[in-house]
Amino acid sequence: MDFASNITAAALFQQVLVGLSRTTILFIVSSGLSLVLGVLRIPNVAHGSLYMIGAFLTYTIAAAVGPGAFGFWIALVLAPLGVALLSFAAERGLFCHLYEREHLMLLLFTFSMTLVFNDLVKLIWGSDYRSFTAPGFLQGSFDVFGLPFPRYNLFLLLIGPLVAFGLWFLTNRTKIGKIARAAAVDREMVGAVGINVSWIFAATFVIGCYLAGLGGALVAPTQNITQGMDHTIIIEAFLIVIIGGLGNIWGALLGALIFGLTDSLGILIWPQFAIVFPYVAVVIVLLFRPKGLLKSTW
Amino acid sequence: MNRFSLISAFLAWVLALALCAAPAMAAKTIKVGIVDCYSGPPSTYTNDVRDAFKLEIDKVNAAGGVLGRKIEFVTRDSKFKVDLGLSAAKELVMREEVDILMGTINSALALAISDLARKERIPFLATFAKSAKITGEAGHRYVFSITENTALAGKAGAVGLAKMPFVKYWIAGDDYEYGHAIADGVWENLRTLRPDVELLGQSWWKVGEPDFTPYITAMLSANPDAVIVATGGRDCVPFLKAAKATGFNERVPFYMHTATELSTLKPLGLDAPEGVLGTSNYFFYYPNSKANRQFVKEFQDAYGRYPAVGAVYGLLAAKYITGAYQKAGKVHTEKFIDAMEGMTVDSPVGPVTMRAYDHQAMLPMFMGKTKKAEGYDFLIATDIVTLEPEEVAPSIEEIRKARMK
Repeated sequence: MDFASNITAAALFQQVLVGLSRTTILFIVSSGLSLVLGVLRIPNVAHGSLYMIGAFLTYTIAAAVGPGAFGFWIALVLAPLGVALLSFAAERGLFCHLYEREHLMLLLFTFSMTLVFNDLVKLIWGSDYRSFTAPGFLQGSFDVFGLPFPRYNLFLLLIGPLVAFGLWFLTNRTKIGKIARAAAVDREMVGAVGINVSWIFAATFVIGCYLAGLGGALVAPTQNITQGMDHTIIIEAFLIVIIGGLGNIWGALLGALIFGLTDSLGILIWPQFAIVFPYVAVVIVLLFRPKGLLKSTW
Repeated sequence: MNRFSLISAFLAWVLALALCAAPAMAAKTIKVGIVDCYSGPPSTYTNDVRDAFKLEIDKVNAAGGVLGRKIEFVTRDSKFKVDLGLSAAKELVMREEVDILMGTINSALALAISDLARKERIPFLATFAKSAKITGEAGHRYVFSITENTALAGKAGAVGLAKMPFVKYWIAGDDYEYGHAIADGVWENLRTLRPDVELLGQSWWKVGEPDFTPYITAMLSANPDAVIVATGGRDCVPFLKAAKATGFNERVPFYMHTATELSTLKPLGLDAPEGVLGTSNYFFYYPNSKANRQFVKEFQDAYGRYPAVGAVYGLLAAKYITGAYQKAGKVHTEKFIDAMEGMTVDSPVGPVTMRAYDHQAMLPMFMGKTKKAEGYDFLIATDIVTLEPEEVAPSIEEIRKARMK
């Protein structure tokens, strides 16, 4: 086998495009994780389970509305909201009593939540594989320099910047975003000036979990919706948050870019050992920037 | 301790004794212990094994059981973990005192239980684990396999592909034992059958890979004649989705062992790619025989769904167990094993013989192509070629060599 004989400019460009669409999902999920980690200081291991529930809800809602584009859009809007509602209940009922506890305790608690959520999924949806398809205009692919690029991946490429802009707007231009950032730095001070920090925390938690649900809803048409889809994503999301800088949303974006692109380019350059590429990138980043690329809020 | 609590403690003790004695007083049964993964993704395969097994056992019991004894079974969830499954198997042997062990989709666990079965001298029927080692190099007197394995599937794939004009191949698959074993099996056999084939390259991904698009585009840029996809379980569905989205199946023909199985095709509905080559031990619509139609009807009546390939393994397990005890004439482990060796039972895929030398059930393999068909809201396999077990199973000579090592 000629080493790397298949690497052409067209193939490289193709891999970058595909990698960027993967980056979108990674960014959406890990920015939510980072938000919760930065403001509430909760290492939410159950984030991956919420992503999975988002995908299952998308399937169920789309199946209930019926086939076609309408069901897809309705599901894409409603499923993340359903996840947000679930996370709101979890926050008000459980998490809000635990903010003062130490991190290990919170880690254990969110881990137990993953078990609860997983069993919930098993009870409601059973163990069969589920799958649903994107509407017709997002199916199939078009050629980019002779290689196919799926339409759905193009759709993801358009969604990514939208979500990033929305997050930027929320954290920098709205009152709640500013208060959340302030509360992340000094919770007691924010409380002392008469702001109800508890509700700010609830809102931040719900937004973070909404992003997990949105990620799940967006991958649903390209994936096998099944138990266990939470495992991969939660590990990747934590790695991305760590290399980006804990709690820094732009760090999550940078981390997702590094992870997504090394993954897709590694597959082209050295397909036999492609699995290791993103992890090697993580190791390199941590060797030189042990606290992550951007400023951590911790 | 006052008198009241003394009396109540005594009463509790008597009650406990009575409860323990109750099962012992009932007529002795034949007990089968099943250890398998009933939680998480693998349960979509294992539930069919258990349900079909129960269906057949219920029939046998309704007709009076075997040798005048009823057959009962208990299940334990291994959660796909070797340590958990092995301790469950030990518990079944020590405490439940089962006569036979069966189950497990996890190859590592199957090998561990097989080892236990040899030490404890209890027959173990492997029902879904695909490692060729079970009846190959790690085979022994107490283990039986009633499912195809990586050696059989590999050879079946190679025999099918050798008939096609492809020369330049690419191999891609799950980077764990199953993927590599299938890929090696297909490739070694294909090279023997067709010495002119050429391997352009390989890609390996992790189990649970979320997006196959970058793998597919990278493979396309290498321009192979055909691709051997060695992926199993839940990764089949997203791979086929990505294949459809990129038009992979229209650009390059590919073979994927379990592509035509019901568990893979049903969730995809009509959106599965057409023309994908796959192999399986069973389809509920093939062979179109009276025995199969009747089995499908009974299974559907009982559970409201089509039986997938696991159902045949479960049914065969029940038939082998009842048949072997009947033939042995008494409930005795060594006599049971002697009876099992070379025994043939009927099944929806025709008579299946338990090969005496390596304890491998000689199941036929069906190679087909995915296609839309009228009356089904999912794709089915068409152009089915039956590969006889004698054609695809490793020869006794090969098994002997493997066991010598």
